[in-house]
Amino acid sequence: METPKISRRGLLGASPVVAVSAKAASAQTPEAAAPALPDAPVRRRVVLKVNGESRELDLDTRTTLLDALREHLHLAGTKKGCDQGQCGACTVHLDGERVLSCLTLAAQAEGREVVTIEGLARGGKLHPMQQAFIDNDAFQCGYCTPGQIMSAVACVQEGHARTDHEIREYMSGNLCRCAAYPNIVAAINQAKSQMGRA
Amino acid sequence: MRPFTYERPKAIAEAVSMARSEGAGHVNAPVQYLGGGTTLLDLMKLDVMQPTRLVDISRLDDRLLRGVSRNREGLRIGALSSMAELADNGMLARDYPVLQQSLWLAASQQLRNMARVGGNVLQRTRCPYFRDTSYSECNKRIPGSGCAAMDGVNRLHAVLGVSDKCIAAYPGDWAQGLAALDAVVEVLGPGGARSVPFGELHRPPGETPHIETSLQPGELITGFVVPGEPWPRSLYRKVRDRESYAFANASAAVALRMRGDVAEDIRIGLGGVATTPWRARTAEGMLRGKPLTEAAIRAAAEAEFAQARPREHNRFKVALGPATITRALLEAKAMEV
Amino acid sequence: MLQPTPPVPQPLENMGQAIPRYEATAKVTGQPLYAADEPIARPLYAFFKTSGVARGTIASLDVRKAEAMPGVMKVYTHRNAPPRKAVKHIMTGGYMSDTNIPLADNRVRHDGDIVAMVVADSYEIARDAANRIEVRYAAQAPAATFGSPGAVKKVPEQAQKNAKKAGDFAAGWSRAPVKVDARYSTPTQHHNPIELYATTAVWNGDQLTFYEPSQFVYSTANGLAEQIGVDPAKVHLVNPYVGGGFGGKGILTQRTALVALAARDLGRPVKLVLHRKQAYGLTTYRAETRQRVRLGADRNGKLVAFAHDGEEVTSRADDYMVGGVENTVEMYACPNIATSVTLVKADRNTPGFMRSPPETPYMFGLESAMDELAVALNMDPVELRRINDTQKSPISGAPYTSRSLMQCYDQAAAAFGWSRRNPRPLSMSQGDWLIGWGCATATYPTNMMASTARIRLTADGKAVVEVAAHDMGQGAYTAMQQIAAKRLGLDPRQVTVRMGDSALPPGPVAGGSMTTASAGSAVHTAAGKIAARFGGAMPAPNDLDDAFRRLGVTQIEEYAEWWPPGQGPQAVRALYKGSMGGGGGEEGEQQEGNAGGGKPMMAAFGAEFVEVRIHRLTREIRVPRMTGAFAAGHIVNPRTARSQYLGGMIWGMASALLEATEVDAKRARYVNDNIAEYLVAVNADVPQVDVILVPEVDTKVNPLGVKGIGELANVGTAAAIANAVYHATGKRIRDLPITMDKLLV
Repeated sequence: METPKISRRGLLGASPVVAVSAKAASAQTPEAAAPALPDAPVRRRVVLKVNGESRELDLDTRTTLLDALREHLHLAGTKKGCDQGQCGACTVHLDGERVLSCLTLAAQAEGREVVTIEGLARGGKLHPMQQAFIDNDAFQCGYCTPGQIMSAVACVQEGHARTDHEIREYMSGNLCRCAAYPNIVAAINQAKSQMGRA
Repeated sequence: MRPFTYERPKAIAEAVSMARSEGAGHVNAPVQYLGGGTTLLDLMKLDVMQPTRLVDISRLDDRLLRGVSRNREGLRIGALSSMAELADNGMLARDYPVLQQSLWLAASQQLRNMARVGGNVLQRTRCPYFRDTSYSECNKRIPGSGCAAMDGVNRLHAVLGVSDKCIAAYPGDWAQGLAALDAVVEVLGPGGARSVPFGELHRPPGETPHIETSLQPGELITGFVVPGEPWPRSLYRKVRDRESYAFANASAAVALRMRGDVAEDIRIGLGGVATTPWRARTAEGMLRGKPLTEAAIRAAAEAEFAQARPREHNRFKVALGPATITRALLEAKAMEV
Repeated sequence: MLQPTPPVPQPLENMGQAIPRYEATAKVTGQPLYAADEPIARPLYAFFKTSGVARGTIASLDVRKAEAMPGVMKVYTHRNAPPRKAVKHIMTGGYMSDTNIPLADNRVRHDGDIVAMVVADSYEIARDAANRIEVRYAAQAPAATFGSPGAVKKVPEQAQKNAKKAGDFAAGWSRAPVKVDARYSTPTQHHNPIELYATTAVWNGDQLTFYEPSQFVYSTANGLAEQIGVDPAKVHLVNPYVGGGFGGKGILTQRTALVALAARDLGRPVKLVLHRKQAYGLTTYRAETRQRVRLGADRNGKLVAFAHDGEEVTSRADDYMVGGVENTVEMYACPNIATSVTLVKADRNTPGFMRSPPETPYMFGLESAMDELAVALNMDPVELRRINDTQKSPISGAPYTSRSLMQCYDQAAAAFGWSRRNPRPLSMSQGDWLIGWGCATATYPTNMMASTARIRLTADGKAVVEVAAHDMGQGAYTAMQQIAAKRLGLDPRQVTVRMGDSALPPGPVAGGSMTTASAGSAVHTAAGKIAARFGGAMPAPNDLDDAFRRLGVTQIEEYAEWWPPGQGPQAVRALYKGSMGGGGGEEGEQQEGNAGGGKPMMAAFGAEFVEVRIHRLTREIRVPRMTGAFAAGHIVNPRTARSQYLGGMIWGMASALLEATEVDAKRARYVNDNIAEYLVAVNADVPQVDVILVPEVDTKVNPLGVKGIGELANVGTAAAIANAVYHATGKRIRDLPITMDKLLV
């Protein structure tokens, strides 16, 4: 029997363009998109630009950016911690701004630049924020960490990391149940100067 | 979440024509505008809202919907401005601190990046019995079904503006400042453009808690106008159990024009304690033209809450509300402007 | 004044190196695969429909709309759900967190009970279909909690059998000149790890591989095998990373078997991710308690009588017992002691272990009462602890292997600046903020469990350590890496660690703060066996190649079994079955290196000091700073240890001020079942936390001299805060959480 588990590396190395079915292709105009049955899913072809790569997907309109990343593109670094906009674990950058991918439809991200934790390190070199999280032990279980780091990078870029107090306030949308908070503040303080020099 | 079609019109007129629908009230219309989506998608996932068509207006770059401007009439804010963008607006922070703070103290930066100030005033209640369809009693979700919050857990519910049908609290922050400053809501709909005084936007629950606003199906908020001169002596005081990223147990949006110790003009909007963004007109009336002493403020604030109707777990709001008003006004009075 | 440790502390006496976490780079780049992250080809998605009442029967269940939806594969209800074997509760020798078997009949036994499971092509369709299922209930009035009509009191046999006592409490109490008699309560709390509870089941022929967050992979896998009637050898649980557990992922829940059987039934992998709110009813929680504490002292503050009585809520199905009075009575010297525990059975899911299960609620009671006693005696609360400090059990007289409580108090008090405190309530303020300072004792027993480990050392100086222990953020990977490296004389970077997989040699539950002591001891033993192959002393890394050549091998692999003092090899056999409490010492076999005889007291201690600020008008309570000093034997890695203490104190702060699952008294339902309304601490709540690692040497607890620390620092924080609130306001709040409403009335 064929093993149903697929290799992550193999998957990530696969062609980024997913075959688009005729059914989905025909569902592009608003008229054609109306469901045949009242309860039938509405499909939509969505081109997502994730970490610099364009990926074409045939999705249910209900699919969130989070589920598109995790279930369709197998970019599982972005985490689901509540699926209702309360924890920040799913934070990604959309056109450079930090947003919650669980409350963003994949369709809303069409044509916009999505950056996830997998896209932060460049050429095998960690982003200064990633290195700072290591240096300051700014995580324990690691589950909220991708969201924390994406949020922290944006926090610095927004100019909201001027004081410890400001960092704490602007990082409060990212829950850490292990409560590594003081170390996260220390990490942001370390990274912000390096990011400034970059 | 029920299946829906997703549209992204290029122009505001196209959006409004797409959103035309027959429906029982704005919030239950089968077509909904999608701005930030932070309330809408949340409630759709919970099956509380079930639109069949979403009209994504978030990318419309119509000047009507964008930016902040000032003219002789006052301040105008485009409805598609993000909460984050306005929270970072230096002019707003200087001349209308109450508005800027109400945005900054709401939600998280991620949510503020997403949420638009037009949609934010329509944020729906956090009442747990409303947000969970497994409860059979909720007059707001199912008219006539009852209200589980009345004898349930109601610590965070409203004490002002309540009815026998509903005690759900209005959860937002930004609306309190707009209410206090007598903002005007600009609305565009299938029937054309109109203006609504902010105080008439939200409807108290009364007998019909399922009708939350005076908007008609398909109507879109395009902007807000805050008339008159700036309010540099103003602030938003939000009182909550944790320091950040929490809904208000009570909040006060206050604005003052002082002459010496006397409040020549005074505005008080209340959040966290009422079913709608609440204008504390009783307290304002008692304090306008009077010296702002702690005792006078306390008396006026308590008078405002004389009409409060608490339930088992939210009795503390009858004390917290006046305390919040008192603290906010004393802090505003002490501001160096 | 002592300096608290910076983010990367320098090791002090009896501490290992503060190296970065083993898995740090993986975690900051999004690489670790948590349970729901495994890439699975063409999975089906499951979604539960959960009950809208807490007690009753299903009168009608209409699944036709759901079944008719395109993409829905099957809807399971009590009419067609696959049968599962009844397996006993974890506390009665079984595996389950809750023995109520959902979908076995048409009864609803608690809020959020499963009434149907939809399996569909996509998550979106499964969720939508679950919402279309129409259920009507014949509901009965449920008993929600203490005092609810229909709630039944029961004194569990275990509580009667194990009740600790000393002397004659009644006599001591009647003679005590100074008394505190107070009642305290602690609320329901849910773990709310940020990683959701998830299960993915994949069958390959008759072999099942499943992925779910587990703090005890052997228990989860063996329990599931028993439930679904499959040979345990054919059940494989893979879970290298746990996204926060805190006890919630320690025990098998009923969801897993449903997912596994649906996957077999439908012939495709099935993936389930519980919705955040569903976890409230479908996993465990910290039971609410009500306590009475009576402390009697002589006029010098010496305790003469101590009684601690507790009431705890549990389900109808299971007698889960928190049982913290067993621990509180070991804290201070006292000749006359009595305890009791009463369960209150209600229409609830079964509670379970949550970070320091007994100590968190019961030390709140004791340490609040100690503060009340200090007030009654007009005595400094630190001095009251000093007067009553002990180096032996007041119950059995057995000595503590080590106990550095007062060293912790002295160091923390100095760093905090306690001597500047004006003891009078309402005496300290700044502007509109009232200031209060309080302190309390933290403690956690040194638990240990049997463990095995396998190490393979190759001639190139690289080692692979394998043990089915678990890292849910404690730093277990790093600890195993360092323990192995030290014994093998290697640079830690040459050591690979594999954990969290039921195909590896079994390790202990990631609970009871015993991973390092237990799995670490097994790793240390296995490494020692490798060293023995070289005659006892490891060659230097550069000489390994030659040493291997002399032995005529290219690699050495050693497997070791270790069990704690007083246990025997049957503990390892129980471990292979995933049994939590199978240690027993009946056979009395002793392993070389283990101390024998007696039952010495083994525990870690700490002292916590907090400052609270309370606004004079609106009564928000904020904690601008906390200082904790902790002593727990050998510290393998001061960096990760500090993080655990830091996170523990913040957890304790949230537990005191924020966290409570609100139970609707009429409906017996969890109302704030999400993490916007169930408040946990956010970054802004935590301005300053200072951690002091107090060196302590303990040569008796285990070969490594380590005690558990993961559940130490959150104990005591709640009482320290309550005591500080009293100091700030003059109000004694005895019911957690301490929220503004309690200070406004």
